[in-house]
Amino acid sequence: MRHTLRFLLGHDLVELGEVDPTQTVLEWLRRDAHRWGTKEGCAEGDCGACSVVVVRPEGGRLRADAVNSCIQFVGTLDGAQLLTVEDLKGPDGRLHRVQQAMVDHHGSQCGFCTPGFVMALYAMDRRGEAVTYETAVDEIAGNLCRCTGYGPIVEAALAMRGTEGAGEHLSGREAEVMARLEALDDGQDLMVGKDGRTFHAPASLDALAMLYAGNPGAALVAGSTDVGLWVTKQDRPLDPVIWLGRVKELRRIEERTDAVVIGAGVSYTDAMAKLGEMYPEGGELIRRLASVQIRNTGTIGGNVANGSPIGDSPPFLIAADARVVLRYRGERREVAVEDFFISYGEQDRRPGELVEAIVLPRPKPTEHLACYKISKRFDQDISAVCGGFRVRVEKGVVKDARLAFGGMAGTPKRAKAAEAALVGRPWSEDAARDAAAAMEGDFRPLTDQRASAAYRMKVAQNLLVKFWYETHGEGGQIRLVGPRRVVHG
Amino acid sequence: MAELPLIGEGAPRIDGRLKVTGDARYAADFSVPNPAYAQLVTSTIARGRIVSLDASEAGKVPGVLKVYTHENAPKIEGVPFFGKGGQAYQGFRPLQGVEIKHEGQIIALVVAETLEAAREAAFRVKATYEPQTPAATFGDGGTETEVAAEISKQHTDPKTGDADAALKDAAHVVEAEYETATNHHNAMELYSTTAHWTGDHLTIYEPSQWVYGLRAGVAGELGIPQDKVRVLSPFTGGAFGSKGTVTARSALTAAAARALNRPVKLLVTRAQGYTTASYRAETKHRIRLGADGDGTFVGFVHEGFELTSRPDTFLVSGTESTVRMYGFKNVRTKVSAVRADRNTPGFMRSPAEVPYMFALESAVDELAWKIGMDPIELRLKNDTKTDPITGKPFTTRQVRACFERAKELFGWDRRVAKVGAMRADGELVGYGAALACYPTQLAPAAVRLTLEGKGRARVQIAAHDIGTGTYTVLAQAAAGLLGVALDRVEVELGDTNLPAGPISGGSVATASSVSAIMKAAEAIRLRLATAATTSNDGPLAGKDKESVVLKDGRLVAEDGTGEDLTDAFKRLGVGTVEEYAEWLPDGVDEKAMRGLYNGSVKIVGGPMQDRTQFSFGAELVEVRVNPRTLSIRVPRMVGVFASGRIMNRMTAGSQVLGGMVWGVGSALHEQTEIDRRYARYVNDNIAEYLVPVNADIVHQEIEFLEEDDGEVNLAGVKGLGELGNVGTNAAVANAVYHATGFRARKIPIRIEDVLKSHLV
Repeated sequence: MRHTLRFLLGHDLVELGEVDPTQTVLEWLRRDAHRWGTKEGCAEGDCGACSVVVVRPEGGRLRADAVNSCIQFVGTLDGAQLLTVEDLKGPDGRLHRVQQAMVDHHGSQCGFCTPGFVMALYAMDRRGEAVTYETAVDEIAGNLCRCTGYGPIVEAALAMRGTEGAGEHLSGREAEVMARLEALDDGQDLMVGKDGRTFHAPASLDALAMLYAGNPGAALVAGSTDVGLWVTKQDRPLDPVIWLGRVKELRRIEERTDAVVIGAGVSYTDAMAKLGEMYPEGGELIRRLASVQIRNTGTIGGNVANGSPIGDSPPFLIAADARVVLRYRGERREVAVEDFFISYGEQDRRPGELVEAIVLPRPKPTEHLACYKISKRFDQDISAVCGGFRVRVEKGVVKDARLAFGGMAGTPKRAKAAEAALVGRPWSEDAARDAAAAMEGDFRPLTDQRASAAYRMKVAQNLLVKFWYETHGEGGQIRLVGPRRVVHG
Repeated sequence: MAELPLIGEGAPRIDGRLKVTGDARYAADFSVPNPAYAQLVTSTIARGRIVSLDASEAGKVPGVLKVYTHENAPKIEGVPFFGKGGQAYQGFRPLQGVEIKHEGQIIALVVAETLEAAREAAFRVKATYEPQTPAATFGDGGTETEVAAEISKQHTDPKTGDADAALKDAAHVVEAEYETATNHHNAMELYSTTAHWTGDHLTIYEPSQWVYGLRAGVAGELGIPQDKVRVLSPFTGGAFGSKGTVTARSALTAAAARALNRPVKLLVTRAQGYTTASYRAETKHRIRLGADGDGTFVGFVHEGFELTSRPDTFLVSGTESTVRMYGFKNVRTKVSAVRADRNTPGFMRSPAEVPYMFALESAVDELAWKIGMDPIELRLKNDTKTDPITGKPFTTRQVRACFERAKELFGWDRRVAKVGAMRADGELVGYGAALACYPTQLAPAAVRLTLEGKGRARVQIAAHDIGTGTYTVLAQAAAGLLGVALDRVEVELGDTNLPAGPISGGSVATASSVSAIMKAAEAIRLRLATAATTSNDGPLAGKDKESVVLKDGRLVAEDGTGEDLTDAFKRLGVGTVEEYAEWLPDGVDEKAMRGLYNGSVKIVGGPMQDRTQFSFGAELVEVRVNPRTLSIRVPRMVGVFASGRIMNRMTAGSQVLGGMVWGVGSALHEQTEIDRRYARYVNDNIAEYLVPVNADIVHQEIEFLEEDDGEVNLAGVKGLGELGNVGTNAAVANAVYHATGFRARKIPIRIEDVLKSHLV
């Protein structure tokens, strides 16, 4: 057991023996490291002003992800390199090319969001992928600017590769950073704390399972994109906190012949790539459900485990007939995702039992699967209704139907009456419309600020008809699938 | 006095480097020794009384230093409400008793060694209430409606002719009600206060649009002399009107710091900011607009209803602008205040014009359809050169030129004058237009300007850069006037140790500050020129001192003869010349300067005694509406503006581009949702309060027309910060009508409302 948190801040080793389990990276940076460049705009991962880059070794390379420091606990930095806006300019004071491009293109107005934009763009620049209008706007979709200077910022993103600037002080030391981070990865369980409160980061699945079984009241944290807000928005004290990020077994994606097993610690970003291959619809859903910063840390496992009625992945998972692998000490059991959600705030998970993985069956040729996220704002918004549909059609007849919705009930839930109205009938518009009508018997949705009950019902019904249209290629492409397309122009 | 030479017209902002490196210091970024951390606790009821407040559990959290409640809170004197000539955001002071006046009212302030401990303690404060049923908004039982002219001394209802009689005989009349939503500023930077005492001297770091006002307000509330308080806000991370007045937290934090004898930092959460500071209240409008057969306006009635709080009468009274937009012959207006159990609203970017111009510019569009006239034609037909209420001339008014240029850039000629008749890529297309305006206002300003013989200059003024580019444009003004390079000018802002600058509100900052700089620069020029022209030797000896100017690091006469600055300074026998200047706009008396230093605001403009001064613009918008889903997108916007001299096309461009994006937000996205049962804001975060994101905006094109308006001030500068987002909401709504036949009289426009129209 190690009792010191260790990470690199820029190129300096930081070792902390006393760590409040819910101190955020942002708070630590600003208060303890006296790095004021990183800003707090919302403390809930919505605005991106606090974006920093977290670098970790992965597959023999360094991987650099932009994350929201406002909802990451400082303990989650263990074994990583943390880069902030202060690290970008060269030792000679020359601006990094990302910064220079922002100056040249007038990307700052009040400037408060600027460090976050700079770091989001730096992560993109560092990955080396092509910067196009589409990829740039997706990359910064999680960064808000209220002076609304988006045009100049996108121009800066497009120009950054061709801009002269510093960078060698970072890129030239990657091998050294790699070696140092590998040396920090000691395989020991970590426990740090302050004032009697503790933060645990077990290094293996077994250790995690035992620890959690012994501390069933602990807050399990994977990406912290939900739990972080319990602290920053609700002031909730959490103790102890158990972080899953060092458990390598949970970060695996295992390929089986009939299914893919996604570890509960796999980030949305990583799941999106795999899902996109199998279910392009699921991949696109994940792109839309959150910003790059959130996708880099948030997990499907967490989305399921927390059981929100408006979580975006459950309808898709239920439609695809996915299963949850639960683990208590050494015992494993599997339940269908749809059975995991019992009622609002209650899941089929006993104290001390954790979500280990999601088993996602591979699609079959006779199946159509689609996901629909309905929100007021296209990107980065909480769903009013989210639908995941799968129908198996053989010889023109519906053999099986799974129609799952979020936002229609206290839990993600299937529309059983609608399904029954479909199965056995030819896959026709009439059948789809009849099934949509039957949905009235499935749900009594709520009215809230996201949508009225009537709107929810109407849109849920219409989505089914839309699904039918899409499976028949009529009406053409009426929504986004796959990589982002600009729908606004 | 010398004209203002135009330099650095397209210069990137001089603070760009500081901003991209994280080196720009915002208020919450300042280090103070050994700070304690504060957290607010706010009420969960909107109306009633606190029965008990149990802080015992909170006090036991390790690291907690103090929990302030109404039982032990420091005594706050309470300075007057801003609307009554004071500095306070609202007249009611929380934590001074058991009364609850609105949801989210401060009921405790926790101070602890760490933020984590303060949060936990805040969580453990338990309040019990005796609640009463609140009135949340228009139409709720318990709201009280009062006529503005009867309850507010500042308010008069502009009026001319007999509008009701004229409307009786009008050939075409539009009679409609319009509604605008509750909006919150949501500047990216959160509200914060850091208070640090050294002896009896207090330093406050707080994001501000008005550091002198904050100083006066805090000093007044603590009962200490103003000169014992220093306020610093060198960079402000967006404000939009939200950081101009003094909220309760500032004095509370300072009092806590004094009592605990150590600096205290308070960061207000996003949600708490919704209720402990201001916002744009919802409004309603009753419009009657009539025209004769050829489209000439004959009568206009504008009745506005504005929501305000129980204790304070906050009104934006936008009829002052709407009545001046066209050549109305007969006008009647009336503004009413509707009181509810809410926190007091306040200024938000173009406070009066955003809601009131939505109503007018929608009604004009409705009338155009009724008459069967192009809506731009109708506007131009009713253009006027004189203020219809006062009969005085507009200083400049390029409404026609703005629309004509905007039409050209937009391709308005492609418009098919029929609802639902234009389609592209399978979507319904609509074009919409609206007039943008903002009164040209000014405020007193003082500045200290320094020029060194080595050619370096310094501007010192307690103005603010809230994203507006103030650092850059003031440096440009000084550089041009003193004849030095832009990168040789240093600008200091946002500090009450500097000469008093204007409040950064009402779009007064640039014009007022530059006017003061011109006055100071003239004094510097005169000193150098007098010495050079009255000396016995040197190239300028005997020349007319009025003809000598500072240019390119030299002192030169009209004929080109001159000498280097270093020689001119030698002649004076000094290395540096410093001038302090106080500038007062027309119609403002000397007392206003003292007032400026004491935190009292004097803003003049719009209708004046001898003239009326406004900026104008034309905004044209294209919307695309999906015929199946009815989702609305804005792929294209054109804005052409006439707003006096443009100091810097880059910073000015950012202002109006951003403004137009705000306008799209106002039309399609932004609404603070209220749970009427509890008078509570529901979406008090930026996940659910939808501000436009980069994907919401595609193509924007803007242009500024040349405009030489020497009457408004010496510099010919008008304000720009609030012009761009006026009218945009109406332009979008008008375009939606063109595309779908759905007339959005309520914004933001919701798909479900469009669905009800069954028109497509």
